[in-house]
Amino acid sequence: MARKGIRFLRRGRVVEVADFAPRTTLLDWLRIDQRATGTKEGCAEGDCGACTVVLGREREGRLVYEPVNACIMLLGQMDGAELITVEDLAQAGALHPVQAALVARHGSQCGFCTPGIVMSLFALYQEGGRPVTRETVCDALAGNLCRCTGYRPIIDAALDVCAEPPADAFESRNEATLAALRRLDDGEDVFVGEGHAFFAAPANEETLAKLLSDHPEATLLAGATDVGLWVTKGLAPLRKFISLGRVKGLEEIHDSPEVLALGAMSTHARAMGPLAGIDPDLGELMRRFGSAQVRASGTVGGNIANGSPIGDLAPALITLGAILELRQGNDRRTLPIENFFLGYRKQDRRRGEFLRSVLIPKPGPNDHIRIFKVTKRFDEDISAVMMAMRLTIKDGRIVTARVAFGGMAAIPKRALAVEKALLESRIQEGTAWAAAGEALGQDFTPLDDHRASAAYRLQVGKNLIVKALAEIAGAPSDATRIIGHREAAHAAE
Amino acid sequence: MANAQGPETTGTVAPPLPTPRKTGGIGAATPRVDGRAKVTGAARYGSDFFGGPDPAYAFLATSAIARGRITEIDDSDARALPGVIDILTHRNVGDRVKPGKTFSDKGYMGTSIAPLASDRVWHDGQIVAVVVADSYEAARDAARRLRVSYADETPSASFDSPGTETVSAESKSKEGEKAGQEKPKVGDAPRAFEAAPVKIDQHYETPTQHHNPIELFTTTCAWDGDQLTVWESSQNVYGYQNGLAEQLGLEPSQIRVVSPFIGGAFGSRGSLTQRTALIALASKRIGRPVVLEATRQQGFTIATYRAETRHRIRLGADQSGKLTALIHEGWEVTSRKDEYKVAGTDASTRLYACPNIDSDVSIVHADRNTPGFMRSPPEVPYLFALESAMDELAYAAKIDPVELRRINDTDREPIKGLPYTSRSLMKCFDTAGQAFGWSRRSAQPGSMRDGDWMIGWGCASTMYPTQVGPAAARVTLRPDGAVRVQTAAHDIGTGAYTVIAQTAADRLGVPLDKVHVELGDTALPPAPVAGGSNTTASVCNVVAKACDEIRRKLAAAVTVSGGPLDGADPGRITLINASVMDDQGRMASLKDAVAKTGHGAVEAYAENIPHGAPPTAMQNLYKGQSALAGGAKLKDRIQFAFGAQFVEVRINARTREIRAPRIVGAYAGGTIVNPLTAKSQLMGGQIWGVSSALHEATEIDRRFARYYNDDLAEYLIPVNADITEVQTIFVPEEDHQVNELGIKGLGELGNVGLNAAVANAVFHATGVRIRKLPIRIESVLDAPVPT
Ligand SMILES: Cc1cc2nc3c(=O)[nH]c(=O)nc-3n(C[C@H](O)[C@H](O)[C@H](O)COP(=O)(O)OP(=O)(O)OC[C@H]3O[C@@H](n4cnc5c(N)ncnc54)[C@H](O)[C@@H]3O)c2cc1C
Ligand code: FES
Ligand code: FES
Repeated sequence: MARKGIRFLRRGRVVEVADFAPRTTLLDWLRIDQRATGTKEGCAEGDCGACTVVLGREREGRLVYEPVNACIMLLGQMDGAELITVEDLAQAGALHPVQAALVARHGSQCGFCTPGIVMSLFALYQEGGRPVTRETVCDALAGNLCRCTGYRPIIDAALDVCAEPPADAFESRNEATLAALRRLDDGEDVFVGEGHAFFAAPANEETLAKLLSDHPEATLLAGATDVGLWVTKGLAPLRKFISLGRVKGLEEIHDSPEVLALGAMSTHARAMGPLAGIDPDLGELMRRFGSAQVRASGTVGGNIANGSPIGDLAPALITLGAILELRQGNDRRTLPIENFFLGYRKQDRRRGEFLRSVLIPKPGPNDHIRIFKVTKRFDEDISAVMMAMRLTIKDGRIVTARVAFGGMAAIPKRALAVEKALLESRIQEGTAWAAAGEALGQDFTPLDDHRASAAYRLQVGKNLIVKALAEIAGAPSDATRIIGHREAAHAAE
Repeated sequence: MANAQGPETTGTVAPPLPTPRKTGGIGAATPRVDGRAKVTGAARYGSDFFGGPDPAYAFLATSAIARGRITEIDDSDARALPGVIDILTHRNVGDRVKPGKTFSDKGYMGTSIAPLASDRVWHDGQIVAVVVADSYEAARDAARRLRVSYADETPSASFDSPGTETVSAESKSKEGEKAGQEKPKVGDAPRAFEAAPVKIDQHYETPTQHHNPIELFTTTCAWDGDQLTVWESSQNVYGYQNGLAEQLGLEPSQIRVVSPFIGGAFGSRGSLTQRTALIALASKRIGRPVVLEATRQQGFTIATYRAETRHRIRLGADQSGKLTALIHEGWEVTSRKDEYKVAGTDASTRLYACPNIDSDVSIVHADRNTPGFMRSPPEVPYLFALESAMDELAYAAKIDPVELRRINDTDREPIKGLPYTSRSLMKCFDTAGQAFGWSRRSAQPGSMRDGDWMIGWGCASTMYPTQVGPAAARVTLRPDGAVRVQTAAHDIGTGAYTVIAQTAADRLGVPLDKVHVELGDTALPPAPVAGGSNTTASVCNVVAKACDEIRRKLAAAVTVSGGPLDGADPGRITLINASVMDDQGRMASLKDAVAKTGHGAVEAYAENIPHGAPPTAMQNLYKGQSALAGGAKLKDRIQFAFGAQFVEVRINARTREIRAPRIVGAYAGGTIVNPLTAKSQLMGGQIWGVSSALHEATEIDRRFARYYNDDLAEYLIPVNADITEVQTIFVPEEDHQVNELGIKGLGELGNVGLNAAVANAVFHATGVRIRKLPIRIESVLDAPVPT
């Protein structure tokens, strides 16, 4: 029998909630149900971070605190986690170090973004004990918009306190919390609601497969960073949710010298390290993927399955030759990721089928990879153009070429004409670069919107090809990039 | 007072913390007194009030067309949903809610378009129904199930759309005559322009922008008999109270508006929107509190915004760069029904010395929601045009842009020859220019390069009127030194709680933590709208006045014969260290002093009418009308704050990505009550300036007159990483003519002119002159890549 309610940890106690509408967001539950109004709502779509709360979960055997957007997270996803909100940080009247630093640094004006910023910095503080720079703070705060302060005092506050090893009440309770979380992990299926409207969180693939075949029209839920918006912004009257969050095994990551296998439920935050290990550009791409909140919830599987033409992972995975593993009932199949995308928001996913994992072959010693994401705003911005390139070079000659683009067509797609132009040419030949750039015009007729005009996309696409080739040919990347030089990233490893 | 600050460090270490002074009087860098409430989540904003234990929830349904009529609303599906209580449409509202008069028409409203008054649709996203249900979810679902049919007409979206109507802007003074504020004029500008040896004649354009404060637009209403309480974030609680009274046919005394904390405003909560009265009516109808939280998208159409503008500027100068002619013509979009305009010619014609000036403003009626005040409403667009043109003139005359401003500097405004009370423009240029390293700039466009990055340096002036409004405050001092300050002013993030507490602490000689400030409630004495950057000046001055009254009462009591300071001159009594002291250094405790007055506590109520405001200003303030006096509106003088903006841009030669890694501004704003709050305001403003140049634009689908990037994913405001180095420098300035404490407003100074500075820097980087904001990556696509 499945459990009829969800259970999570809050303020040291187990909270059980059995009676909630499947679509209820964590934020609405907090603010409307609990009248816990410290957590704010500024957009209800994951953009502003005012709703940031922190979840404590076991990751790789440790207790990890991560910020998430409560506005697009469904209450049901809370099962098995520890929930921490801005009201919980001060202990016996004494401000948490993060809070005290924000007061001392004058980190608020209107203060409406402040609870979210406190929570993002609290998560950074818990990571503690490692160097914290302006860049790491900016990364941690990329998902928190402040319309008033200009951010500077907030960054200063973070620099004041986030580099120290954590020494707060949460740290001293660490063991006890971990034990309590393990007690919550009962391996039971969860099913809240009735057959016509429910929130289900199966515990293993078998019950998942069964549920899906009973309710093929149910909405599969991974991190909800897309699905959450369908509810809050699209006002979609969804009634049945099947959450993959508790399915054992789907979150696993296996990293071998030949293949990186990412379970569909690997969050971007967890996948980031292994992906950066493949190539620093992939690490940089992930660093600029959404925000810390979005990376903590959003999953690799969700990013691929939603099939967005501007999704960031797909072009990179296409050039790497990644393979998808899917399952429907007891049938399993694999296919190259590029074949998965059929048309605008249309994928080769059968009714009741789900994505299990992504297999990414590791590049060989003669492989050269470049990935660029171009946005208007630096962080938390949808790509205007995104390019990924992988070349195999032998004796100065390009023997295989894979180039894929996002933001240029209705689906993430390979630039076959560019690849053809590159093949067999010599990497040091400037004329080959120009020819490859020009070939892009045969591959795409890009879209024209306020983010970027068609002409811009095409021009920049060409320039990116040339930039990548120049770098691969040996131009140092500090001449071609504003930040995040590849050399520095390599050195840091 | 804090003066120039060193450059912000980059890297891993934050600059050292300023040591706060415990007493934290005027001028002290005191961290904000409401900091604790804000970091713990205890501060309650409009959206945090539910009006009672069992409220109902409202969800708005908004129109899918921009112009036409509603022919039918089928609400059967919506009503069938469990939990739905009531649905308000034009059929059951009609004239039960009066439209009210707009702000610019001496009323309180941001728009006179009353959405549920009739079947008429005036703009896209207009409220067409308010659904009320037991739960937020049910209200949302029901709103989605409403089926609204329209008879639609082709809308006019903006400039150049067929069907717009262009009329000359002509504000009316009180007596109904033309005040002519929009069209300052002196000499014979067209002739002087013709004759000028150096000329610029160009057109400029600024886009639609939305305030997008992080707090959404929300309203909670509850009735107790015929008493209505409204919880809504507001920059103008008395204005809301009086406006609602007019709309609902109530006495103002029947309404209380509560707004202790405001989650950002920037002008968007200065005038009353039409939603509030509808929620009040809904609450009355169902006999329960009603909570409305409009979505981010709805916020784009149910409140105001900064309208797009166009400009033509003609500048004539002699060979030495001295201006001989300045002609500024402006065009502004507004709604079909209202005449809102910003008319920034008022400021742009007063910045530089010039014997021949002409100006003209027109408004263009389109099928849009009515625009309204947004941070530095006139100065942002009008100075973009003027300061871009000045840069063009600098290149045409081959003069350094900073020197061009020096050549045309003046201590009198050129239209009527009135003296500036103070003007530190060139001091600001020199201070900021030095901090920026302007002297190392090579003048040739495209001549500065770093790897793939083309570098450009640009500058511009900023100015903002110094305005003071009438205000009232009540201050109570208890024998133990506890002070309570009450005034219905608003802390929209500017730090009003803090600077008001500092003023009282200073004047009453008590530590800052003894002062308790209450704001944002019509149960308190009135203060003006938090607009026009007047709050610090208006409210600190009246609070100081009330404190002085308390001091006088105590002085009188302690100096009577037999009193503790018997024989001392009451005029020379000061309050210090929670005691009363005479000029001989004799002290009496506050406790004894208060006891001597024969009261348990000493209380004073003070009112202040600033220089230039009419004698009726106080009565009008109680009616929610804040007559701000100052700027270019005075008869005997002119008062503005000034500053200089410098920007470095870097444009990638391959991708044409544009970054603004370095911003330096120097500002002179009179007395700085608190360098922390002031710096915070200015720095926030600087970010706004860059944002206004590079990111912010509300995009309009011209076929449907509809905004389409109406959320925070698509309406880009900068994130942390967009800003690398910001320097904010105060230039010391004393000006006790503007008001007793010498305070000029700062909140709207930091963002003005920066848009032009960015565009000027882009020109310097690329040789491409961008006259239309925002500057998009494709704007510089065709720029030649210098080698
Ligand atoms: C603020 C913000 C910023 C963002 N920034 C970026 C960005 O920079 N780059 C980018 O690419 N995306 C971005 N996104 C989009 C989104 O975060 C990603 O696409 C994310 O990876 C989705 O994963 P998820 O786990 O949250 O998916 P969900 O929302 O849970 O699901 C997405 C879709 O995939 C389906 N699905 C999920 N898992 C499976 C599975 N295992 N099998 C079959 N179907 C499945 C769901 O049914 C749904 O249709 C952003 C989103 C937000 C809100
Ligand atoms: S409310 Fe804006 S991110 Fe959640
Ligand atoms: S302080 Fe107002 S949004 Fe950050």
